Formats: sequence, structure tokens, C-alpha cells
Amino acid sequence: MDYQKLFETNISGESVKAWKAQGKKALGLICCHVPVEIFDALEIMPVRLRATGTTESPDGDTWMSTFSCSFARGLLQYWLDGTYDFLDGIVTSDGCMMSARAYDNAEHVDKTRNTGRFFCQIGAPRIYGELEHKFYMNELRDLIAKLEEFSGNKLTDLKLKASIEKHNEIRRLIKKVNDLRLEKTPVISGSDALKIMLSSTNCSTDEYIELLKAFLADAKNRAPITDKRARLMIIGSALDNAGYLDVIEENGGLFVADDLCYGSKPFNHVMEIDEKDLLGSLAKYYLTRIVCPRMMDNRVALQKSIVDTCREYGVQGVVYQKLQYCECWGGESLYLEPDLKAAGIPMLTLEREEHLANAGQLAIRAEAFIEMIEN
Amino acid sequence: MAKDTRLEDAVMSGDLSVFDFCCEKIDGQMERMKEKNPDLLWTLQIQYDMWHQVRDAHNNGKKLVFFGGPVPVDIIVAFDCVPVYLDTVPIRLSPNPTLTGKFIDSAERYVPATTCGLCKTYLGTALEEQYGVTPDAFVYSSVPCDSSRVVYPNMERIFNVPAFSFDQPFRRDDRGLEYLVDQTEKFVSWMEEFTGTKLDWDRMKETMKNANRTYELQGKCADLRKRKPCPLPGRMLVMNGTTNAMSCYPEMGNLLEQELATGEMMSELGMGPCPDGEKHRVALLQNMLWSFSGAMDWMEREYGAVTVMDAFGYQHGELYEHLDDRHDCFKTIARKMQNSPMIHGAAGPTENYIYLVDKIFKDYDPDVSIFLGHIGCKHTWASAKIVTDMIQERFGIPTLYLDVDGIDGRYKTHDEITGALGQYFDNVVNK
Ligand code: SF4
Ligand code: SF4
Repeated sequence: MDYQKLFETNISGESVKAWKAQGKKALGLICCHVPVEIFDALEIMPVRLRATGTTESPDGDTWMSTFSCSFARGLLQYWLDGTYDFLDGIVTSDGCMMSARAYDNAEHVDKTRNTGRFFCQIGAPRIYGELEHKFYMNELRDLIAKLEEFSGNKLTDLKLKASIEKHNEIRRLIKKVNDLRLEKTPVISGSDALKIMLSSTNCSTDEYIELLKAFLADAKNRAPITDKRARLMIIGSALDNAGYLDVIEENGGLFVADDLCYGSKPFNHVMEIDEKDLLGSLAKYYLTRIVCPRMMDNRVALQKSIVDTCREYGVQGVVYQKLQYCECWGGESLYLEPDLKAAGIPMLTLEREEHLANAGQLAIRAEAFIEMIEN
Repeated sequence: MAKDTRLEDAVMSGDLSVFDFCCEKIDGQMERMKEKNPDLLWTLQIQYDMWHQVRDAHNNGKKLVFFGGPVPVDIIVAFDCVPVYLDTVPIRLSPNPTLTGKFIDSAERYVPATTCGLCKTYLGTALEEQYGVTPDAFVYSSVPCDSSRVVYPNMERIFNVPAFSFDQPFRRDDRGLEYLVDQTEKFVSWMEEFTGTKLDWDRMKETMKNANRTYELQGKCADLRKRKPCPLPGRMLVMNGTTNAMSCYPEMGNLLEQELATGEMMSELGMGPCPDGEKHRVALLQNMLWSFSGAMDWMEREYGAVTVMDAFGYQHGELYEHLDDRHDCFKTIARKMQNSPMIHGAAGPTENYIYLVDKIFKDYDPDVSIFLGHIGCKHTWASAKIVTDMIQERFGIPTLYLDVDGIDGRYKTHDEITGALGQYFDNVVNK
């Protein structure tokens, strides 16, 4: 099977259109706290929205001002300029304020345009405990009721379990992709790994599983990467542009691990299933897996997981990229940097915009960092 | 005569703590006021009480509970602890850009420069170990925004004291309220463990009665502002945002009683703060410009434009009703948390912000709309078009957008700010 699609990150909507041709619905998702399993179980294709490839965002700027993160402005831009016209609406949870505002503006403009598309926001607690679990369960129940009405399908335990199992299979397959990166001379670059993960937003779940299997079957035929000088990990703000990694990899770095919400993070943990409480399993999973600093009680664990990953993957340097105006991902260095230092791992902090306009500067910083690691 | 900057210099060199600075500053102001304007001493009394109460808490055998965001202060006080609202520190320091600059620069070593100046200042003060007192506990909420959500957990680790965090939901309905009621019960248990005492409901009733008095009076002062001319000056709005810190102390009620009496008197005389009479009524759509509250005096003086209300400080004035009904009281606490200054406009869906601004325009009848957009408050900027379109559509009023930093006075000079405001009045409002 040709798995090239895994490396195409443009937003074509091709799979969505094929899906919708069968009379089914597809919804855009913002934020990692909306459980995709529910959508698949109701035969709604979940498509995590991206801003990949935006070079400017005039509409996003008009609505959100240029004091907003350029990724969120890019999301809104694509929503308003028709790039995502193949979707039937958006579901979000209350993630960071920037993405929440992208949603608010998208919904507002859609209402004024009378598009009749579906909009739904659910609450996701920012700490985890009994009360929070209960609250989130109620939010999920509401979401299910709305999606059932929207799709005309009924959610059953059987369907939900099958969907969870499929997504767990994806998580296991992605783990295998990441295992390839453990090797001394991996057969996959960081940029290609990110593309594979990004393409989950371009495919239906079944299609994605098949593509991943095909890639893994062929992995042994890929040439090991031998010309890199430093094993790196990338962390920080939402990054849906593999080109950013390319610039650093072209300068001698090799990303063997990441901590990105568009990268490995959402796939890193396989969900434990309690057969008697499937929804409870989902709620627990989504509120405890470590994906994003939107949670307020996961900082110690999040930072520890970064240091542990560095150790596991033999990482020699961490690249901490922050989008301008992204506070959510902005405050890790106070405790993370000393922890990394204690482990002998330097960290390079970079500010960036969604559109990679200054590749030259990035190359210079990357080159200097890699040289420092080498020496 | 050169300005005496000994206190500021001592803070800059690290020799004087922020709380000592606040106490000494207010002591000096009170002395001067006693000599020159003894009738206006009441305007400073609450600050005197607050800063001294915090600085001297440990000497008085009380525990200090630092807090961030909307948390049930009334409960903290009912446990005989002294609450310390973090926001009051940057707001107090903000008229002096050098001081806020010190702490902001310190914080920017660890958080993005685009983080809210409020958060950067209180984080920086912790990093510089310059509070001058050590908190015994830290309580915070998951709102208002990303800035605070990044800074509070970091401060929890810096303080390294018992901490409690509220998860404040974005939904404002009954489910959201009950969720907060449950958390409030959890908080009471946590406070009981922390203080080693049970919640004394009679004390709780005391604090609730005081808070009711405060918010009733604040509501009356706000109502006075609906009159034409508005009898109270814009700069008195500054306090609204921080009332929560002291609302359950009788001293806060005393201050507001005086404010109300002064406002009533002015109103009876048909007078307002504009020396040449009220020509315009201004609504500010976002925070107060703490770093330059003189901008409001300037508008009153130069353009006869009185600031009648600001969206973030605006209070819904929730009152406790059934003081013996614990659940009902905790539900009022939940409502207060959801509707407290800044949170009601900044956190949660834009529709809350629209509701708030619409209400201000209906109740206060402003003819000038100004979005003094605090640059740290990016998410408010990201809602501004929806809100200002609504103002244009429903009330036919255009809005001036002006980027400012409500805390970091280095961002724009006073002249730049008044220059932009003046141009707007000349070219749009008075055209
Ligand atoms: S990059 Fe940061 S600010 Fe932007 S949407 Fe993601 S978490 Fe939010
Ligand atoms: S002013 Fe805005 S950015 Fe600052 S703490 Fe308040 S809501 Fe957050």
C-alpha cells in the first residue's frame, strides 16, 4: 500500500469529501480535550483543525487583532476564507484563551452568515479529582446528546468500545513509529515523524491505521539517517508546520522526540478501558494524559515526562519553541530548565510565528546550538 | 524641590519589601492629607488598613493566605486568616514604572514578555523574594486567563506552602454554579485542616453581612453614576476591581458610605467632576488604566468627559440572601466568583463579555466608547471586534482602540496616551 499520504500535510479535505460523499458528517475539532472516540462511534469524522501553511491571516487579524497567537489567527483565517468549507461545524473544549477566541469568532461569523453549521463548546476541568471527573462526564453526556441529534446516530457501548479500541490501535502504532526514533541512526527524521502525526487530521481513522501499518511494514527498507550531529527533542506551542523542524534538521540536528500536541503527545498514552464504565474511562483518560499545560495540576508531571523522554531517547538538547502571544506554553522554563541542566541537557528557547518567515535566523540559532552540544 | 525617592530606591535595591513600601507610602500620604485635606482622609483609610493588616498579620498571630483570581475571601476571613489579593500589589505599584519594571523584568526571564503585567509583577515580586512576608497558604483559581494559569502554578511551587486551587468552569449556568458549590465545600474542609479549626458559622455570617453591606453600597455608588451629570469622578472606579480583597471588612463599607454621601451631595448640587460641566460620558471596555489613572482626570478636565463605568471593574453586586442556609450561601459565593471583576469579561465565552458591555451601555448611557486594551489581555483583544461591532450596531457609537499596558507604565508615556485620546475627541467625538 502506498503510504505517501502520511507525508502530505496540506489541508486538502480529500478524505473528508470522500467520507461525506457517503452521506456522513465531519466536524472540526479545536483542542486536545474533545474525545475523538465519541465522534468515530457516531460515524462523524473528527478533523483536528490546523493552520498549516498560512502565510498571512488578514481575516484572523481583523477579528482577533495582531495581539493574538498567529496559530489561532491562522485557524480562524482558514475557517473564514473557506479552506474548511468541507466541514459541518466545530467542537471545542475550553483550551487556551487564544484557541477559545478563534472558536468564538468562527461561531460569531458563521451565525451572521447564517451557515447553519454546528457549533459546540464543552468544558474540560483544569485539575483532576472526583468532582472534576463528574463535571467532565456531564459535559461529555451533553456532547453525546448533541452529536446524536446532529448525526442521527445513537451511541451504544458497543460502538464506543470499538472506537476506543481503534484509537488505541493508532496509539500503539504511533508508539512503534516513535520506537524507530530510539535507534542510534533512526530511519525517520523528526520532520517526517511530525508529518505522519499531522496526517491523522487528513485521514479517517480506518484509513490512518492502514497507512501507519503500511509505513511500519516498509520501515526496514528505509535508509538510516547517519549525517546528523545532535539528537534533539522539540517542545512547546502548537506546531503544525514540519518545515520548522526541517530548518533545524538541515543544520545538523535530528529530532528524535517531541512533546507537541500536534505530534506524539496525544498518542503517547494508551487508554485503559473499564468495560463497565466506558465514558468514565474516556473522562479519566482525557483529563490525566499529559498533553498540554492548559491543565493546572500537571506541570510537575509534564516537566518530568520531558526529562524522562530525553533520557529514554538519548536526547542531547531540547528546543523549546514558543509562539508569540502563547502564554499557555510560555511558563515552563522556571523549573524545567534547571531539571534539564541537572540531567546535562541544554535548552534552546526560540520565539516563532506560524508563518516561518525568518528561516535564516532560525538556521543560525540552530547551528550555534548544535555546535555547542557537539563541543 | 527634588522628589523624595528614598522609598522607591530602597525597593529597587532590594532593601525594602513591597509590603513595607506600601505601608510607608500610605503612612506618608495620610500625614500629608491630615495637614492639607483632613476631610478627604477617608479616601485613604482602607489602603492604610489593608496594607498594615497584611504586613502585621504574623505579629498579630494571624495566618496569611495569598490568593489569586476569584476565591471565597469571606470564608478565609471567617477562619480568622488575613487574605492577600495578589492583584493589589501590581495595581499599587503601577503608578511608578520603575518599580513595576523591576519585577516585570525579573519575571520575563521565565515567562513570555507578552504575559499580563499583573501576573508578571506578582511573579517577579516572588522571584525577587520581596513580598516581605511569607504566605502560610496559597489559594487560586483557574481563571481569568492563560497568563494567570501559567503564573499561579509556578508561584505555588515558589511559595511551597499548602495550596488549594479552584477549577472555575466556563459555563455560567446552574451546573457551573453547583460545581463551584461542591468545590467550596472541599475548600472549607481544606481550610479546616489548614487552620486546625472548624468553620464557625456565626463568624461566617458576620463576614457575609459585611460583604452584603459593601456590595449594596457599591451598587448604590454605581447607580449614582447613572445620573446626569455623573457626580463621581472616573478615578474612583479604580477601586472596583479590588473591592473583593476587603469586601467583608466593615472598613470597606465605611469607605463606600462616604463615597455615596459625597456622590449624593454632589448630585444634589448638580455637580460632577468635570470643571466645565459634563459634555460626554465615557465607557471603558476593558480594565482600568491603573498605571495612569490620571488619564480620567485629564478627560474630565480637557473634554468634559467623565468615565461612567469600566467593563472589567463593573460588579453585578451579588448579595447573600438566606444566611442560615449554607448551600444557598455557597451558591451566592459561586455566583460572585463567576461574576467578579475581570473574570466576567475576560474569561469564558465572548457572549459573557457582550452581555456585560450591553448592560453598561443600557444602564449608563455613555456616548463615548474606548477600548483601552491592556496588551497582556490578548484574549480580550481577540473578542474586541465582536463587542465593538455590537456597540456600533445597537448604540450607534464607534469605539476608539488604544493599546496600553495597565500595569507597565513604560509601554506608553502619559503624553502618548493623552495625545491619542485627544485626537479621538477632536476628530471623532467632537467633529
Ligand atoms: S499555540 Fe499556545 S496560544 Fe496558540 S493556540 Fe496553542 S496553546 Fe493556545
Ligand atoms: S488583565 Fe487580562 S491578561 Fe491580565 S490577569 Fe486579567 S484577564 Fe488575565
